[in-house]
This record gives sequence, structure tokens and C-alpha cells, in this order.
Amino acid sequence: MPKFYHDDPEWADIEPIAQEDGGPHPLAAIAYTDEYSEAMGFLRAVMVNNEYSERVLGLTEHIIKMNAAHYTVWLYRAKVLEQLGADLRREIAWLNPTALKHLKNYQIWNHRQTIIDKLGSPEGESEFISTMLEQDSKNYHVWSYRQWLVQRFDLYTDEELKWTENMIEEDVRNNSAWNHRFYLVVGKKDGQAVPEDAVQRELEYAKAAIRKAPQNQSPWNYLRGILRHNKLPIAMIKGFALEFADVEKPDDVYSSHALDTLVDIYAEEEDKKEEAKKALELLATRYDPIRKQYWNYRKGLLGQTSAMA
Amino acid sequence: MTAPGLSVAGDESALRYSKHINYWRRNLKTFLPHHYTGNDNNRLTLASFIVSALDILGDLETALSVEERQGYIEWVYRCQLPEGCFRGAPATDLKNHRNDENKVWDPAHMPGTFFALLSLALLGDDLSRVKRREILLWLTKMQRPNGSFGQTLGENGKVEGGVDTRFGYMAAGIRWMLRGNVEGPVDGVPDINVDKFVECILESECYDGGISEAPFHESHAGFTCCAISALSFVDRLPLKSGQPPDSRLRGLQNVPLTLHWLTSRLTLTLDEEDIDTHTGEINSSQTHHSPHSFAKLKSHPPKAGKQSSTAELTSHFEMEWVGVNGRCNKIADTCYAYWACAPLQTLDYLDIIDTKPVRRWLLDRTQHLVGGFGKLPGDPPDIYHSYLGLVTIAIFGEPGLQNVDAAFCASRRAIEHLQSLPWRKAIVGNDAASYR
Repeated sequence: MPKFYHDDPEWADIEPIAQEDGGPHPLAAIAYTDEYSEAMGFLRAVMVNNEYSERVLGLTEHIIKMNAAHYTVWLYRAKVLEQLGADLRREIAWLNPTALKHLKNYQIWNHRQTIIDKLGSPEGESEFISTMLEQDSKNYHVWSYRQWLVQRFDLYTDEELKWTENMIEEDVRNNSAWNHRFYLVVGKKDGQAVPEDAVQRELEYAKAAIRKAPQNQSPWNYLRGILRHNKLPIAMIKGFALEFADVEKPDDVYSSHALDTLVDIYAEEEDKKEEAKKALELLATRYDPIRKQYWNYRKGLLGQTSAMA
Repeated sequence: MTAPGLSVAGDESALRYSKHINYWRRNLKTFLPHHYTGNDNNRLTLASFIVSALDILGDLETALSVEERQGYIEWVYRCQLPEGCFRGAPATDLKNHRNDENKVWDPAHMPGTFFALLSLALLGDDLSRVKRREILLWLTKMQRPNGSFGQTLGENGKVEGGVDTRFGYMAAGIRWMLRGNVEGPVDGVPDINVDKFVECILESECYDGGISEAPFHESHAGFTCCAISALSFVDRLPLKSGQPPDSRLRGLQNVPLTLHWLTSRLTLTLDEEDIDTHTGEINSSQTHHSPHSFAKLKSHPPKAGKQSSTAELTSHFEMEWVGVNGRCNKIADTCYAYWACAPLQTLDYLDIIDTKPVRRWLLDRTQHLVGGFGKLPGDPPDIYHSYLGLVTIAIFGEPGLQNVDAAFCASRRAIEHLQSLPWRKAIVGNDAASYR
């Protein structure tokens, strides 16, 4: 049922402000519904008076339902909540279904952050995030929000690490989950070095995931990211990469990412330019031909390096 | 995956040129359907895409009468605020009720201001009525201490909106349009903190070489594109070989890694059904592989090679269409063709990918019969995907389309028009002699 205000006695004191669209040649004019046009007219009118009231909360809710990306309606709503001293738990209870209806909306998460920050507790947030991720396990806003929660409430815990493990267990290709894990391990606020045992644990963790599904780029990127961050040589994973590809056995390749890794390993070794070249050729011609030009470009770089050496 | 009803190899993929013109003229001259209501506060963005699409198609002169062109220019100027800068759309206009107490609800808007300036340039206006000084002052207030930019200024001068590189991209673009690459104060107006902005981009680089919305967030082609384009606007791209080093802080910590990440966006996963079918691996916890029990990778035959078996034929056809995704292990989507290919072009590395199968994917799979492009195969066209699909094939050099500036996502003609304006020449000097 559409909602209107012009015949609602509660709103009889308000003169709506119609939209001014600037003459006969507007650009990107939208065929608004009558319901939206009218509600927006009332919104402009209450904003003019800076009215902060219960009825305005209802009006902002109505507008958000029709246009969740209205950037000032969210800021206005936050101000109304503050002025009324509203129950912020109730606000979260309203936000939950709203976020589920608008999965790609940014403003909702910004608003949620403001509210949870004021509440000063992450209670219930983990459960709600799980509900959101059931809809889309790689929702960018949700993962960004999760990082904010971790930072705001200092949740760099074993429990949080275990949670990413469960997410990766559910879908080993969920790159958002891998990224969140990297954040937990490396991104602590104080920026201190990752302890030696944690580095080893992460290397083994990524290797185990690769053994499950070798043609999955996420753990390969993670593995190499952990090495790079800790300034460890890529040669450390040579034996591991050889489990999945060997330039001497061109018919038995289990992972193009292993070949890709071997290229970088060989390129750093003395007298291994031929092997690097072979790996690049296998990538270009057989195992990753959609990136043929890229692998050939890399082959050209090998030539340059050896020419320089 | 099969593609019923679509032409197979040998048939030329074609841009349905006249259909695109119809599609964009309809967007220009008739009301957009009500499901665009969710974009009501970003009408200047939609406006810029619509005008720019017709410009790229070479139809702008024909589509607009002199009176219409002037009318559209006037509409853009009506979105300019009394204190300078532009609102995102007429939706927030409080008209003659607007005053110092309530104008925070009708604020200057970063995308609104960026796309208003671009639209004026596209329509051939000289920007003489733009309050340029006020915009440049506002830009300095829109920058946060960490170097990032926001969407609007809220109460007490608080910078509102996301911290991601989209707003930084637009801030850098506005700065370039109004004052070129000149660093330091211009006419007494201080500059933004360019070093801090570059630092903020450097901090958003991920362990895999992509760029994300903020430190430690996930690499994303949209944020990567915005960051690299922004670096080009402030002339802080990594040095190219042969370029003499200077002492200025430059973007991208590891160019080879970023190139690796960008080329990794090419994918054969073109719709939901394709997930898991290309690797032979099952993607669930139930199938626990012991080492080396998993499938060997399929070896693709060379494109012009033997086609004696069905399997080989399939992979031959697969190579005809290559999609582009926005993040690792996601499916292809029209808009990411732009977000991943534009930064390659801006960095001068577009030639490290084969653009032909990407073009074919766009034209055969996501181009729509009525014109425009959808997000995924079979989707109806929308303004956002139609525009970015069109710009992408223009970047690839599609015959019949205008040359585009990949970073500005608009025609070079419009950018050259800006460079030719006398007030800008007076600030920038002779940069108009050479294109950006």
C-alpha cells in the first residue's frame, strides 16, 4: 500500500516543497511515482525547519525504502535519532531487514557504523553479519564492516581467526575471507611484525588449502603475500610449487598458479632462465592461454634481465 | 557453456551502432523509468553518462538542437550552489527556503561537482559561470587528515561518506580540470595535500597487487581503476622507463604485481553456471582431496589448431569470448571490463592483454538487442553498464567511436576543449600544446 501525506492529519501543518527541475530541458529526469514525489516534497519541507521528531523518523524510513542511496536522508535520520535520544537498539532492529533488502547499498553500513560506535558494543553483530553473508558470501560492504568491527572493538582474537577458517572451509575460493584473514594476521593496529610461529602457521594453512584445490588463486596470492610481507624468499616454496607443476613434465600440470610461481622462483635463480621461459611458454600456449600476451610480455622481460646480467 | 542463437566463430561480432544511438537518445529525451529512483540523488552522474555516450558515438551534434544544448547547460548550472560547487541532483534543492541553518541538508557533493564540470565540458560550455575558486577551496576541506576524500561536508565541517578512492578520483579530476597539474597555491587558493593523497593510495594496495577501498580491504578493480586514474590526474604515476627520476612521491609500490593482478581479471567464468566447470575441481568441503588426486588442468589447443574432438572444439570456442571480473574468483561483469582495462591503458600497458576476445564477449554476450549493455549475458541494459561497456570498446579502438581518455572515461575531444579554455591556460600555461 503506498503511503501519502497530503490527507494525513498528522502532517496537515506541513506545506511540501515540490522539486525544481530547472526549465524545459532537465537531464536524467526520472518518472517518479506519485508516492515518492510527495514524500520527497515533505522531506524537503521538514529539512528546511530542521524538524527532529518521531514522525520525521517515519518519513525518512519511508524515503529510504524507495531510495536507499539518498545521502542526506541518512545523515538527517542520524541527527533525528540523536536529538530524540532514541533507542539505538531499536534502530539496529530496523536496519537489519533494511540491509537485507538493499544488499549493495553503502549508506546503510555507514549508518550502522555510526550507531554501533555510539552503542559501544559489537553484541549481536557477528550473527547479523552471518545472515548477510548467507545472501552473498562475498558482499564487499559486509566484509569492510567486519574489518571496522575488528578494529573498533579490538577483535584480533583466535575466535575471529577461527571464523575466517570456517568461511574458507565453506568456500575455499572466497577471496574476501582470505583477505580478512590476512588483515587479522598482518593488519593489527600497532603494525608490529608477525611472530615467527604465526608466519609458519599461515604458510601451512595456505598450502593445505592449495592441496584441496590447486587451481584456486586466492590461497596462492595469500601464500605469496605472507612471504612478501615478512620478506621471506619465494624460493622457500619451490618444492611446494613443484608438487603441482614441473616444466620437465609438461603434460602433468595441476595448477597454472604453480607455473606462475615457478617463473618468479626461476627468474631469481642463477642459470634458470630457460626453466622460467619454459614455464611461461606452458602458460601462454597450454595452461592459461587467455593471458597469452601477458605471459609473452613476461618472457620479453626475462630476456632483458639476462641481457642486463 | 553454450550460447544459443549467437553467432559462432567466423561471424564478425558487431557493435549495433544505430541501436546504441536509439538507446542513448531515449535516455536523453524521455523520462527514465521509475526503477532509477534509487539513483535520484546522483542524477548529475547519470546525466554525464548520457551526454558522454552520445558524444562517444559521434551523435551529440546531430542529437541536440542549439536550444536543447543550451537548455541542458542551464540545467547543470541550476545544480550549482550559491556558495559554489554542485549538488548531486535537484532532489535536495530547498529552493528559496535554503539558509545557513538548513543548507547542510543540501550540500555540495563530490560526484555532483565532478560530473557537472565534465558535463559542461561535454556540452561545449566554457565553465565561465562555474565558481571555480570556491570549488578549489572546498576541495581542501574535503580531504581528511589521512589523505582520503569524502562525499559531502556535514555538520561542523565533518567529512561524510566513504573513504575509498572513488571520491579521491573525483577530487583529483576536479583539480585537474580547474588547475591542471600545477602544484602549490593558485591565485591564493591552497592546493590539496597531494603527497598525503598518494600515501593514502599506497596504503590501500593489497598483498596481491590490487587496490582496495582502505588499508587491508580486498582488492577491487573499481578502486584500482579510480586510484590509478587519480594518480594520472595529479601526475604521480610510477615513472616509466626512460623518464628522469624526480623527488616526488609516486603511486604503486609494485607495478609488476599490479599488472599481474589486472591481467588476472580476465576470466572464462562468464555466468553463474560456469563456476567450477573450468577447473574440474569441486568447490565444497564435502570433497576433500588428498594431494594429487585432483584433476589435471585442461590443456588448451592453439586457437587455429586441430578441432577433431568435441572437447577441443569447446575450448576453441571458449577462447573466442573472454570476460573480465572485478575481484579474484568472481564472475565476469560488463562494468569490470572498464575498471580493469582502463588502468592498463592509463599505465600504458593495454598491449599485455588480448582485447579482441574481451570485445567479442561484450558485443556477443552482454550487448543487448535494443542497444546498450547489460551486466551479465541476457540482462536488460542499464545506463551504468551500457556506458562502461561502450567506453571499453572505445578504449580498444572500435571504428566509428570517438577516441576516449581512459582515466576521465570521456572523449579526448571534451578534455581538449577544457584545455583550450583561456582562463585555464592562464593558470596551467602551455599544457594544452600536448594532450594530457
